[in-house]
Amino acid sequence: MSNFWRWEYWPLRIKLLFMTLLISTLGIGLVCVSLIVLENENYRDQMESELHVIASILAEQSAAALLFEDREQLLSISSSLRQTGTINQACVYDAAGMMLTSLNDTERHACPDLSTSPSMGFGTNSYQLTVPVTLDQELLGYIYLNSHLQVLREHIRSFVVTAVGIGLIVQLLLVFVAYKLQRIVSQPILSLSDTAERIAREHDYSIRTPVSSHDELGRLSATFNDMISTIQLQNRRILESRDSLERKVEERTAQLSLANRELEAFSYSVSHDLRQPLRAIEGFSQALEEDCEGQLDETGKDYLRRVRGASVRMSNLIDGLLVLSRVSRQTVEINQVDLTGMVHEIVSEINGINDSLPTEVVIQPGMVVMGDGRLLRIAFQNLLENAWKYSSKKDCRKIEVSASADSTCTVVKVQDNGAGFDMQYVEKLFVAFNRLHTPSEFTGTGIGLATVYRVIRRHHGDVWAESELGAGATFYVKLPLLSDQR
Amino acid sequence: MRIYARGCLLILWKFFLLVMLTAGLIQAQASVRSEYEVKAAFLYNFTRFINWNTPPDDDVPITVCVLGEDPFEDLLEPLIGRKAHGRVLQLRAPDKISEMDGCNVLFVSESESSSLREILEKASRQAMLTISDIPDFARRGGIVGYVKQGNVIRFEINLEVANRTGLSINSRLLELAVRVIR
Repeated sequence: MSNFWRWEYWPLRIKLLFMTLLISTLGIGLVCVSLIVLENENYRDQMESELHVIASILAEQSAAALLFEDREQLLSISSSLRQTGTINQACVYDAAGMMLTSLNDTERHACPDLSTSPSMGFGTNSYQLTVPVTLDQELLGYIYLNSHLQVLREHIRSFVVTAVGIGLIVQLLLVFVAYKLQRIVSQPILSLSDTAERIAREHDYSIRTPVSSHDELGRLSATFNDMISTIQLQNRRILESRDSLERKVEERTAQLSLANRELEAFSYSVSHDLRQPLRAIEGFSQALEEDCEGQLDETGKDYLRRVRGASVRMSNLIDGLLVLSRVSRQTVEINQVDLTGMVHEIVSEINGINDSLPTEVVIQPGMVVMGDGRLLRIAFQNLLENAWKYSSKKDCRKIEVSASADSTCTVVKVQDNGAGFDMQYVEKLFVAFNRLHTPSEFTGTGIGLATVYRVIRRHHGDVWAESELGAGATFYVKLPLLSDQR
Repeated sequence: MRIYARGCLLILWKFFLLVMLTAGLIQAQASVRSEYEVKAAFLYNFTRFINWNTPPDDDVPITVCVLGEDPFEDLLEPLIGRKAHGRVLQLRAPDKISEMDGCNVLFVSESESSSLREILEKASRQAMLTISDIPDFARRGGIVGYVKQGNVIRFEINLEVANRTGLSINSRLLELAVRVIR
């Protein structure tokens, strides 16, 4: 409600109307006041001249009666003044200033003493005048008239009422006209503002504001329409390009997933199919060793051992490929994983199998990450086995697993004191079948880190390594804290 | 006893009235001008409101004559030299009717009332304005006659004679006349 009285909250049309009416009221008021003042002056002048005429006529009529000192006649002459209705008092004096007759409407005032020269003209409530009575340039006496101003007052009052009445009628007419005319200015602005609001609300850029004139408002409306057209056009282009992009992405995704599926099916079936002949090689070489050991010399036995060793390596290779393929295909189920527990389990498993090198393993307690438990186990098993393997030629093994977390992700660090690698080949580290060491140095398939990489990528995380030749290696695994299901 | 007392009261009342009246009269006499003083002033005023239909030139004076015994004594002297209709007034006192030729305004004294008819005929022929305080003067063929109403001097006008004589009388004067004979 308080906003109603504040200028800046008024609607445009009310402002326009108010301004027009303020100006017209001011104009009409000034005209009325000046007319009233003018009329007052005019009426006074008119009244004055009328009274002078009356007094002159009276003086002419009274001359003879004054000469003959006929007071009755003087009284009867001045009695005729009663008909004018405005004259209160009429007094006749002789040349010496002595009062001869007086005509009084009211007894309030006596005729003034002319010898004291009373003030003439307009007083507060009356108009007074004195005229000399002469005959042939001889002064015979004086006539004094006193007229009340009631007629003047009533005239001015009725004039004021009329002027104010006419002013009000004109003002009403102006209200009507101003109300009609303000639309010329306010209508285009209002429709423009309405249109802008609708566009903002409905996001419908096909709406246009009507252009009704060729002035600044019309140009504003036209420019606004042009701007909206441009936005509409650009919007359409953006939508079109987005649609085509989406189509392309869909196509590519379809192609890609098809290729992936084919590749996985291929590697799976290859691995499976390779197993059978390998089992035959393995089986028959074992049978050869057991059944025909006596017929073979040392050279033959050595060859046979090499065949069996190669077949074992090939079997490991096929196992690795199968794991990699499974890791790629398996769906990821994100859960909270107790990483400390998992690392402890893996370490105890590896300890049971491996050599008797003095080993120091430091595992940070209370490490918790978000991810798929089975996949993460494969990844960390690979990392820890690597750490174990590459530190096997040191005097003592030192492995540390720790984690640090910020608001978005957890970084797990696996550090060993093993052989390390040359940082210039770090690019090849996570690519399948790429090995930085010869099989004579360290045995391996070249699939382990590729599997780690695949698992972490499927968690939308990242994995990288830092190392120095001979000074150990550090592997970092970054896993998002709240993995959204993408 | 009661009747006597009432008579005493009545006498006392009458005496009081008498005293008051004489006092008023004495006062009136003191403030008001004498009768002929007023009549002399009126005489001059008549000349101002009455005009001759065929007036002579401005420089011919108006001769005011008093026929018979002069009741004004020297009260008319101030008129000499004054002007009416632009003409100077002068005074004459003809002793006999035969000497009144050339008069313009004729005051007929009461002493001449016996030969009034003769005087008026002659005056009418010579276009004289006749004024007199002879009773019923206007009715008897004069033009302006003084009338006394109580203490106030008034006048009558015989407009018919005036018209016949060739005089025009201002209507303002006629309004003031006690009686206008037409």
